Amino acid sequence: MKTFEEKWTAWLDGQLTGKELLEFEASLPDKAAAELEKRDAKKLGALLKRELGMHAMANEEFFSHQLRERIARENVEPGRERLAEVSTWWTIRRLFWTGTASLAIFLVFAVFVMREKNPAEQSQYLSQILNARVDPVVSPNATISMFEAKEDRVTVLWTEGLQSLPADYAAK
Amino acid sequence: MKYGQFRPIMQTEATLAQADVSELDLVKRCQAGDTEAFDELVTRYRTRIFSMIYNMVHNEQDAWDLAQDSFVKAWKSIKRFRGRSSFYTWVYRIVMNVTIDWLRKKQVKGVGAEFDDAIQAKQIDPASRTAPKADALPYETMQRTEIRARIDSAIAQLSPEHRAVILMKEIEEMQYHEIAEMLGCSIGTVMSRLFYARKKLQNLLRDVYENV
Repeated sequence: MKTFEEKWTAWLDGQLTGKELLEFEASLPDKAAAELEKRDAKKLGALLKRELGMHAMANEEFFSHQLRERIARENVEPGRERLAEVSTWWTIRRLFWTGTASLAIFLVFAVFVMREKNPAEQSQYLSQILNARVDPVVSPNATISMFEAKEDRVTVLWTEGLQSLPADYAAK
Repeated sequence: MKYGQFRPIMQTEATLAQADVSELDLVKRCQAGDTEAFDELVTRYRTRIFSMIYNMVHNEQDAWDLAQDSFVKAWKSIKRFRGRSSFYTWVYRIVMNVTIDWLRKKQVKGVGAEFDDAIQAKQIDPASRTAPKADALPYETMQRTEIRARIDSAIAQLSPEHRAVILMKEIEEMQYHEIAEMLGCSIGTVMSRLFYARKKLQNLLRDVYENV
């Protein structure tokens, strides 16, 4: 016991004895007032005991009946919870497999279909370059490359080895 | 000397002789899934449990529901009961936890009209068991109803923990260490709570216990 509250409570309940009791009572500034308060506390206890005694329960049998029914329901519910758990698990597993399958299909599409598409674009680009040759008589080693961005409406002509710029740009 | 160790663990509603043999037997049957055995235990303690909860919450319907919840919780965890205390002590701990939690939630929700509701319910309930017997004089009936209302009002002003401690000490006559064990706190905390609960109730009820 450390605090005053604890000692006071023990003193009120008559649980202080011997040296502790003497020391506590000696520490009280007004023992008469403390004794009065002790009597008050006893009266309060008696009042509570008398007035808050057993509070009868109406329909005791119905209480038990209701409880029995509830317990019967509760006994079933854990099983239901397990089913729900399994069902959720299956959903998660199904989602997992569905996701994996979707990813695989996407990869297949990306590898085969998209790769097919790129060479086509490259082939078109190369054909443009190959077609962009100048007159071999005037500039036998000259080449003209054309880069075109259709979306931005920009076309760049890249020329190499030209002796002179042909009048009609000579691109074929 | 240690305080609160003057008598053995609290008495149960059943006699100790009954409790020694058949209560343990009933608990074992419960642990094996026998609902009839649990029903027997409920029958033994339902009134006492209900009464204690009622003194905490001051409303019969709430006390009923909380008693039901407590017994259901007890049934669900009966396999964890090791028999170190009596079944009543064990179930009482569950009851206190359930009731204090409920009171805390109610306080958080800001239901401040607890006492007024309770008083009105009592005033209009002709079948209230808290009222004196029918053969009491009208004046006595009125006086006792008023006293009960004053006490309920005063207790309603205590925190759930303080309510539990004062009721366990004054009504159930439990020792400090028993209260501490049930509420999961130290004996010092119990004594401190008791100190403040008594002070507050003495201030609020002085005129009542002086004049009764």
